[in-house]
Amino acid sequence: MCDLCMKHGAGGKWYLNAEHYSQAIAEKYNLRDFLMEQYKNFEQISVRKVHGFNAVGMGYKLKMPIIGRIVKYAAEKMLHSTRPPKNPFRAEGHIGQIVPLEDAVAILRTCAAEPIIEKNCMCRYMSRGVKEACCINFGVMSEIVDKLPRFIPEKDKFFLTRQQAIDRFTEHNRKGYIGSIWFGPFPYINNLCSCASPECAGIRPRVDYGITSIYKAEYIVDFDPDKCTGCGVCVARCQFKAIGCDHALKRITVDYEACFGCGVCRHACKQKALFLKPRDEFPGYEERY
Amino acid sequence: MRNVTDGGRIPVKGKTKITIDYARCGDGVGVDPRACAACLRACDPAVFLLHETIGAIEDNPYDPQKWRVTPLWIDLCTRCMKCVDVCPEKAVSVAW
Repeated sequence: MCDLCMKHGAGGKWYLNAEHYSQAIAEKYNLRDFLMEQYKNFEQISVRKVHGFNAVGMGYKLKMPIIGRIVKYAAEKMLHSTRPPKNPFRAEGHIGQIVPLEDAVAILRTCAAEPIIEKNCMCRYMSRGVKEACCINFGVMSEIVDKLPRFIPEKDKFFLTRQQAIDRFTEHNRKGYIGSIWFGPFPYINNLCSCASPECAGIRPRVDYGITSIYKAEYIVDFDPDKCTGCGVCVARCQFKAIGCDHALKRITVDYEACFGCGVCRHACKQKALFLKPRDEFPGYEERY
Repeated sequence: MRNVTDGGRIPVKGKTKITIDYARCGDGVGVDPRACAACLRACDPAVFLLHETIGAIEDNPYDPQKWRVTPLWIDLCTRCMKCVDVCPEKAVSVAW
């Protein structure tokens, strides 16, 4: 159980706590106006200055002796904020976690608030200039995206039923996109993304700069050495460089520390040798999200 | 402890400077960065960011039309020079 589950999970996983998806929370914090203001100019968020700092050349700023630590502390404090959101031009309380396919299906089946939509991924648009419909949004976000033409996919269906959303997510996940669920802002969950590594603006701070913008999943991938033939198909699927291939032993190697537990490698394995195990069953990795 | 920042790579020496000449790209001059996006697609570590111009006056704030490209994650640049070669307006320059 991660930090978020302990505090906001009500005894289970935080993203399976239906309270976070409710309309009542959105109205309590007036999120309709807040999110509208935020998503109108969403792409600017990394270049807008907050207290004189923006994300341009983040690595250089983090390497500065004392200022680097302050920047990292301030960035994490902002992302993990649990106070009512105030400034729509900051990513306040925007913290997420990787979810494997099974949990994402459980979210879509039981928790996600209607209406469910699928919009163009904003990260892929702002870092590659490509429009690709693969982000699933719920509740208030659906009304907001409805007003922003650049996020609406042209040919694909915009509004989805629960079953369609599950099918679309499964399709992306099997393609190799990582499922991730986001508070946006705390305590309202409205995004179920299918991310790809270097484009994703949420995974990038974590893997390139060590800022915990996203938690690792509640699982770690493991494999059956008897079944594994060392074909190495799964190696190409891993976006976190956690899987390696040992040609001498004719099997793969897994770096448990690097593994984020997204489980997309499982779909590539023809031998069905890969499986997810709860993080708690790996001694030493229980608390390392 | 694993050095997350460098990911095990030996960092390139010095600071990379990527400049984009906004007289040739974006905001109604030269090519529209949304239609071109050549540098964005050429860059392997996805250093560039496509965003609405900050402070620009838009006719319809819900559908902004003034966009520009900013080199955002400059420290991840590998100095491969693909963006310089690919730019149709020769607006990108990389120096260190």
